[in-house]
Formats: sequence, structure tokens, C-alpha cells
Amino acid sequence: MKLELGKIYIKDIKFDDCQRIEDGVLYVSKEELTKIALSDDHLASAEFDIAKPGESVRITPVKDVIEPRVKVEGSGGVFPGWIAKVDTVGSGKTYALKGMAVVTAGPIVGFQEGVIDMTGPGADYTPFSKTINLVMVCKPVEGLKQHAYEKAVRLAGFRVAAAVGELARSLEPDETEVYETCTIKEGLEKYPDLPRVAYVQMLQSQGLLHDTYVYGVDAKQILPTIVSPTEVFDGAIVSGNCVSACDKNPTYVHQNNPVVEELFKQHGKTINFVCHILTNENVFLADKERSSFFTAKICKMLDLDGVIVSEEGFGNPDTDLIMNCKKITAEGIKTVIITDEYAGRDGKSQSLADAHASADAVVTAGNANEVVILPKLDKLIGTLDYINKIAGASETTLREDGTLEVEIQVITGATSEVGFGYLSAR
Amino acid sequence: MVKEIERAGIPVVHVCTVTPISMTVGANRIVPAIAIPHPLGNPNLDHEEEFKLRRKLVEKALKALETEVDGQTVFEG
Repeated sequence: MKLELGKIYIKDIKFDDCQRIEDGVLYVSKEELTKIALSDDHLASAEFDIAKPGESVRITPVKDVIEPRVKVEGSGGVFPGWIAKVDTVGSGKTYALKGMAVVTAGPIVGFQEGVIDMTGPGADYTPFSKTINLVMVCKPVEGLKQHAYEKAVRLAGFRVAAAVGELARSLEPDETEVYETCTIKEGLEKYPDLPRVAYVQMLQSQGLLHDTYVYGVDAKQILPTIVSPTEVFDGAIVSGNCVSACDKNPTYVHQNNPVVEELFKQHGKTINFVCHILTNENVFLADKERSSFFTAKICKMLDLDGVIVSEEGFGNPDTDLIMNCKKITAEGIKTVIITDEYAGRDGKSQSLADAHASADAVVTAGNANEVVILPKLDKLIGTLDYINKIAGASETTLREDGTLEVEIQVITGATSEVGFGYLSAR
Repeated sequence: MVKEIERAGIPVVHVCTVTPISMTVGANRIVPAIAIPHPLGNPNLDHEEEFKLRRKLVEKALKALETEVDGQTVFEG
């Protein structure tokens, strides 16, 4: 599969009745966007705001972050199974609006969403302090159950992102990147001497605000499967999860998965990037066993030499991670795992809930229990009503002077287990 | 907690969903539970069926408590 990804850089976002992109400035109409968001009768209101890098703005509770994209050539459309009909994506031509994001916010559960600060120490931890954010705060109709509310906000985010992406359809990209994969036979013929490497991506799949979707299918219902790594660039994987927001992958991160991008950079040079394998992290032990056996079997059937496994989340998914590592390694395949740590506020506790000797090549995204003080910011988009209850906070989080004492766990993307961030120990 | 109570001389049964974690932390008597969000019940069953399931789980745990073990044991079945 071959995908050309055209990048259109957005320098600013302004509200204007006439929606367009002109000289790198995105003009959007509040009225138009509200109409798109509220086309679902589960939502009572949607309010739009803009948050720019460096501004004294805090956004919370954050549900999802999405990059507007539009498919201009090739089969299917963005967010297949949700916005576009189900068709195989990942080939042809797609345009992405770089430097900006659509952020959905509002209290669905309240204590299970994230925080984005546009300035201060919190901004160092979240990659979404560097994007110009078009923020949408949604409120549900009265009596709507949480599951339906979550779905309504999730889909409203995709509709708005797709509509914004559509404004770029007839533009010329500032830059184009080409991603190309081979079939199994082509790869063997073309790169006979390169190690065969695949990416195993574990998807969070544990219920409300813990779910991920593949082509419209709830990931808890899939058996491990194979996709072309280019498919994620068109939104084949979307997020429905944000609890302990530091290590959950918003849709934006799936669209820009750094592991996929890095493997593509090495493809044909140091490795043969064979494929992208998707698996889940379910709540039943039998599911964990089944999915890890299937993953290991797929790796073996593809005659892989090496595998990179990324986890999503922590706690019981550490067991899925270790099962994958153990079983893939047992097939004679070299395995590297990417995770984060919950090592306590002093960093002295056991980092993962599970362990095995085969996990001898581990990349960590940091300790999610690390405590930071976030300053009081001038403007709030959303509400602070839940800030003392959010995962990673405590009843003393909101202090008298308006500052917040929190674990970095609350910050969207702070310990991304696919490496989507700017902090490193180097 | 399991290990500390056993260190004090009282046998412990660890009822848990993710038995591999229990193995890693070193429990000796392990009884598999239902699922992570609902270890001791199943909201998909009707009241009567769920009661039976719960009773069976408790009985299994008590049985495990009386059973002599030679090293870490998962009580399947």
C-alpha cells in the first residue's frame, strides 16, 4: 500500500462566518460547527473556543484530541466505520492539518478525563500544548446515560474534525510524505537480508472511557489482526478512552503514531517493516490468554525476526503486555516492549504489576505518579468541578491559592506509551 | 497483603481475576475470579444465577484454604 500524506501547516485559527483556510489561517464558523456537533440529538449544547500555545489557559475534563484530515484520493474516507463508510483505507492521498487539533471536553464521568495546560510546567508534559486547539465542550440532553453521552461526544469530535479537514480538500500541501508497504512476497524479494520487524499495538478495551475502535468495531470484540501501518493515518483506529489520561492514546496519537512513523523511516534501510498487528487488553483472563496466544501465533506465521510491543494504560494491562512479551519471545522472536511506570510518588515501588525474565528490552515513558504543581491559569475551558477526583489527583489537589498539586497521570499524553511527547531523559 | 498475613502464620486464599499477577507477587493459594470490573459476580446473569456463581466462588475459596499446597497453586475448575 502506498499513501501520500500531504501536510498543510495551520498558523492560526479564527472564528469567521465564512469557513476557509487562507495563507495558513483556519477560519471556522461557530454556527456551522455547532450545527455539525448537534446533528446528534443526544447533545443539548456544544460550545467552541480556541486555545493557543503559550496562553494562560487550562482545558479540562479532556476527552479526546483529533487531527483534522481529509482523504483526497484512494478508497474510503477518514474515520472508516464512523464518518466514512467501511472501506479499506491507507492508500492514495490524504491531507492533514498540522499544528492544530480538535479537542473534545466536558464531564462525561468527570473524574476519568484529562487536563491540558497551554503554559507552565503542565504544558511541558502534554504534547497538545504545542497545537492550536479548537476546543468543543459538549453537554448532553437531560437523562442521557453515560455510555450514550460518551459515544455522542466521541462522534461529534470526529464529525467536526472531518468537516474542518474537508476545508483543505482543494489546497496544495506545504509538504508531502510518502509511506509505502510491501506484501509479504514483495518484502522477501526486495529486502532478503533485512530483519523482518512488525509493530504489535495493544489497544485499551476495558469499558466506558476505556475503549478503542478499529474500523468501527469495539476492540474488545476483535481477535488480534493485521493492518497495513498506513491505515492508521486515515483514522482506522479511534479512541474512546481517556482515564488516567497520561498514557491513553487520543485519536490524534493513533493518526500520528510515532512507532509507526519511526519504523517507516527504517523500512528498507535497517529493517523490513512487515506489518502492524493490533491486539486488545480485555478484562477477562481468558481473553488476555487468547489474545496473546493469537498475537504470538501471527508473529510466528509471519516469520518475524523482531517485534516492538506498545502497551496502552497500566495495571492489569501490564499482564497483557508481559503475556505478549513472553509468548512472542518463546517463538524465537526478539521483543522490545514500550510501557510507562506507576512506581509511587517517591519512585520506589514496583513499576509494573507484572514481570517476566523475557522482558529484557524495555522502553519507559516515565513515572506517572510523579507529582507536579500546576499554577493557577487565567482562563479555564470546561470545569474544575472534578479536579480533586480525577485519577491522579487527591482531595487536596486544588489548593487555596488556586494552584493544583497533581500526579502527571492527570495530564493528557504525559507518559505516552507510543512515545508521543517531547520530554526525554537524554 | 497476602504475603504479610501468611508471614504472620495465617493461610490466605487470593481470589483474583489476573492470576498471573498473583503468581508474580507470590500468593500460594490462588482462586480465579470472574473479571476485573466485577471479580466476585457477573452483572450479565440474573439474580439467582449470580447468587449461585458467587456461592460457588466462596465455597471454592474455602476449599482452597483447607487444602495443603506444595508451592504456588491456582485452583482451576
